[in-house]
Amino acid sequence: MYMSEKSKQIVDACRFCWMCRHICPVGNATGQERNTSRARALALSLINREGAELTADVMDNIYECQMCEGCTKECVTGWDPTYFTKEVRLQAALEGKTPDYINAIVDKVLETGNIYGATELDADLSAAIAAHKDGKVLLFLGAEARYNVPTAAVNAIKVLEKAGVEFAVLADEPASGAALDWLIGAADETKTQMSACAAKLAAYETVIAFDPQDAKAFVREYKEYGIELPAVVTFTSFVAGLIKDGKLAVANTGKAVVFQDPYQLARQLEETEEGRAIVSACATLNEMLLIKKDTMWAGGSIMAIYNPLTSELVAKERWMNAINVGADTIVTASVSEYAALKAAAPAGKTVLSIEELVLSAAK
Amino acid sequence: MVCNEFLTDIILAELEDAVGRENCSTREIDKITHGVDYFWLSRMWADRGKRMPEADFIVSPKNAEETSKVLKIANYYKIPVTTWGGGAGTQGGAIPVAGGILLDTKRMNQIFEVNTEALYIECGCGAIYKHIEWAANEVGYATMHYPSSLTCSTVGGFLAHRGIGVVSTKYGKIDDMVLQMEVVLPNGDIIETSPAPKHAAGPDLNQIFIGSEGTLGIITKAQIRIFAQPEERRFRGFLFQDMSGAFKAARDLLQKFKPSVMRLYDEAETASLIKKIVGVEKKGAFMNVAYEGVKEMVEVEEKILLETFAKYGAEDLGSEYGEKWWKEKITFFYPGHMMDIPQMFGTMDTIAPYGTIEKIYWAMKEAIETNFPFVKFIAHFSHWYEWGAMVYDRFIVDQEYVPEDPHEALRLHQRIWSTGVRTALANGGVVNDHHGVGLKLGRLMKEQYGPAMQVFEGIKKQLDPNGIMNPFKLGL
Repeated sequence: MYMSEKSKQIVDACRFCWMCRHICPVGNATGQERNTSRARALALSLINREGAELTADVMDNIYECQMCEGCTKECVTGWDPTYFTKEVRLQAALEGKTPDYINAIVDKVLETGNIYGATELDADLSAAIAAHKDGKVLLFLGAEARYNVPTAAVNAIKVLEKAGVEFAVLADEPASGAALDWLIGAADETKTQMSACAAKLAAYETVIAFDPQDAKAFVREYKEYGIELPAVVTFTSFVAGLIKDGKLAVANTGKAVVFQDPYQLARQLEETEEGRAIVSACATLNEMLLIKKDTMWAGGSIMAIYNPLTSELVAKERWMNAINVGADTIVTASVSEYAALKAAAPAGKTVLSIEELVLSAAK
Repeated sequence: MVCNEFLTDIILAELEDAVGRENCSTREIDKITHGVDYFWLSRMWADRGKRMPEADFIVSPKNAEETSKVLKIANYYKIPVTTWGGGAGTQGGAIPVAGGILLDTKRMNQIFEVNTEALYIECGCGAIYKHIEWAANEVGYATMHYPSSLTCSTVGGFLAHRGIGVVSTKYGKIDDMVLQMEVVLPNGDIIETSPAPKHAAGPDLNQIFIGSEGTLGIITKAQIRIFAQPEERRFRGFLFQDMSGAFKAARDLLQKFKPSVMRLYDEAETASLIKKIVGVEKKGAFMNVAYEGVKEMVEVEEKILLETFAKYGAEDLGSEYGEKWWKEKITFFYPGHMMDIPQMFGTMDTIAPYGTIEKIYWAMKEAIETNFPFVKFIAHFSHWYEWGAMVYDRFIVDQEYVPEDPHEALRLHQRIWSTGVRTALANGGVVNDHHGVGLKLGRLMKEQYGPAMQVFEGIKKQLDPNGIMNPFKLGL
């Protein structure tokens, strides 16, 4: 398999180094040695040296990484193991070595724009969207909210309505390309999907990205691939601004909660305070272990489709962090983490989406 | 035994029954992953594109009961069992050289209790040490076990290889930090060591299994001490003209109080690593001292430290270098910050009483540099006791002198090690201080212990009559 010199350099740096082991959400949850950057790098380094083949289970291991970049953040030297992981995903796609279960998801994204292959929107969501056809500001809901957690999408719309924001929502919202980018990296299909999305978003002055995964792609990958977009803001930073400016009135409910930083916001977009500002305005914010840029992925996302056990174990692990500080409620700003944490919630424990919290506190 | 395809499937089915299908693997990725640890030879082998010896089965039990089932299966079929924690050991102790079962402990990572009355954490031996540090920190305490592999090694790994951390001079070695352990014996029996670590109820069971490197059983649970966070932690860097003065100063100081960190670097390491990472430009032997605890006592300790070291001509470099060192103490071990393949290198740490340890340093330096003129020898002394100290001496062979042929490289590596460790033994040292023995140094155990080795061999024979537990390690 082709590998760029940059990837080879990172692979050779990481293949004998375990210093980031403790921060990997997957490795911590599964306890499997292969769920380390070191293991992936070691296998690839052997393949580069013709000491091993790119077997199906090596590819499986490439897809056991969530690309949360916890390891990257932890590396004092500055190596980024997700760089070669993403490149191998792309290269596997080009060489026809992508696992079948990944190809099945890719096909769905190419066909329907979402990882579920869904074509019908939830009725309540359709109605909510229909009320917002025009505006210079676009609320980009994202496929995860539209097709997996439609209540989150409806609530996001309600939050902006409460603040009196004039905004549009697209009934035929295009795929952002974030899912394809995660699945097969910078493939032509990914860039084509992103370009098509950008063309549609060009009609707006500002795009509010509801899903952190989309926000990350808009800000980072679109720029990397030379695809232009209007101004993009995250939903959390937009809502935090509304509360700060007095446009969205909330009363603190006094509910004690912890906040789960989505890694896309905290680590990849360096947004750690906006979500906290919202939560602090609406509830009593306590902190658990591994917050802000050190945050730990809490499950969900695409991996939940093809590796549900790992996603569940990861979510349970994150619940332990919350429980250890006596928290009964986790608030999250990630649609997919919301779904994963909810599915794994222990008895008597609650997960709230940030928009649910805002609505419960709205005056 | 003959392990044909049919019997392999039979054994696999039994192992899956013991630990669950998803926790039992014969996949290539798991075999590759568990074939290479931090041992230079395994890394070199992989660097040359060669596959290390690999396990036939990789199992990840959740607890002692599942571990017991695995060992019973292994004993019945007489299959080797190699235990793997973090795999970050340098001595090849975790490499499944004889194939068979690789038992990965990391699913035994539960934290069962954080006891703030008796000050311990009870956890599974597969817990990453950093995770129990986090658990201690969450309730305002600390483990005070801070080795460079804190984030990548397990509780069981440190116990099995007698690990040590940078604040050991005050808080002790891993063998001082454990109160009680649960161990699965090779026959599958699950035992607990004494409820208290200090007693007169016979020999110390803890200390029989600590350092046994998976040859006598598998540690599955441990109670690990935690400590109050110090009110104050201060650092002071010193430069000694030579190491002799530093030894006298350190020995004198340890009769008065115990600093947490004491690290003395020889002139070669001061001029290389310390210059690069900490920024000390001057010639001499750099020593970093940290002292910590209740603020008033720290004040007194600082006064004693400065007075004592002044007597021996130490130049006071202030706190800046020490603080920088503390901040960067793990940075030393990231790729690009220290020696790495294609260099050949190793740490031949040993320990001895004062009066002997400095002699060992010079003898090892001379032996290595004379027999292998192309080898660089650097050292620091980082774990100190009232009676003696440890030398962390390293040899480095630059790429141009490392044979291209992996077999030749292996032989050169072993020759350097034999020369260094035999010199340590001849001058009153031990095979190793805190990395363990493993595959690398097993051949030298009998040279250190002589007839005393029969004590270990007798225990091994009694507990593991089929010799299935981590074969070819520890000289057993």
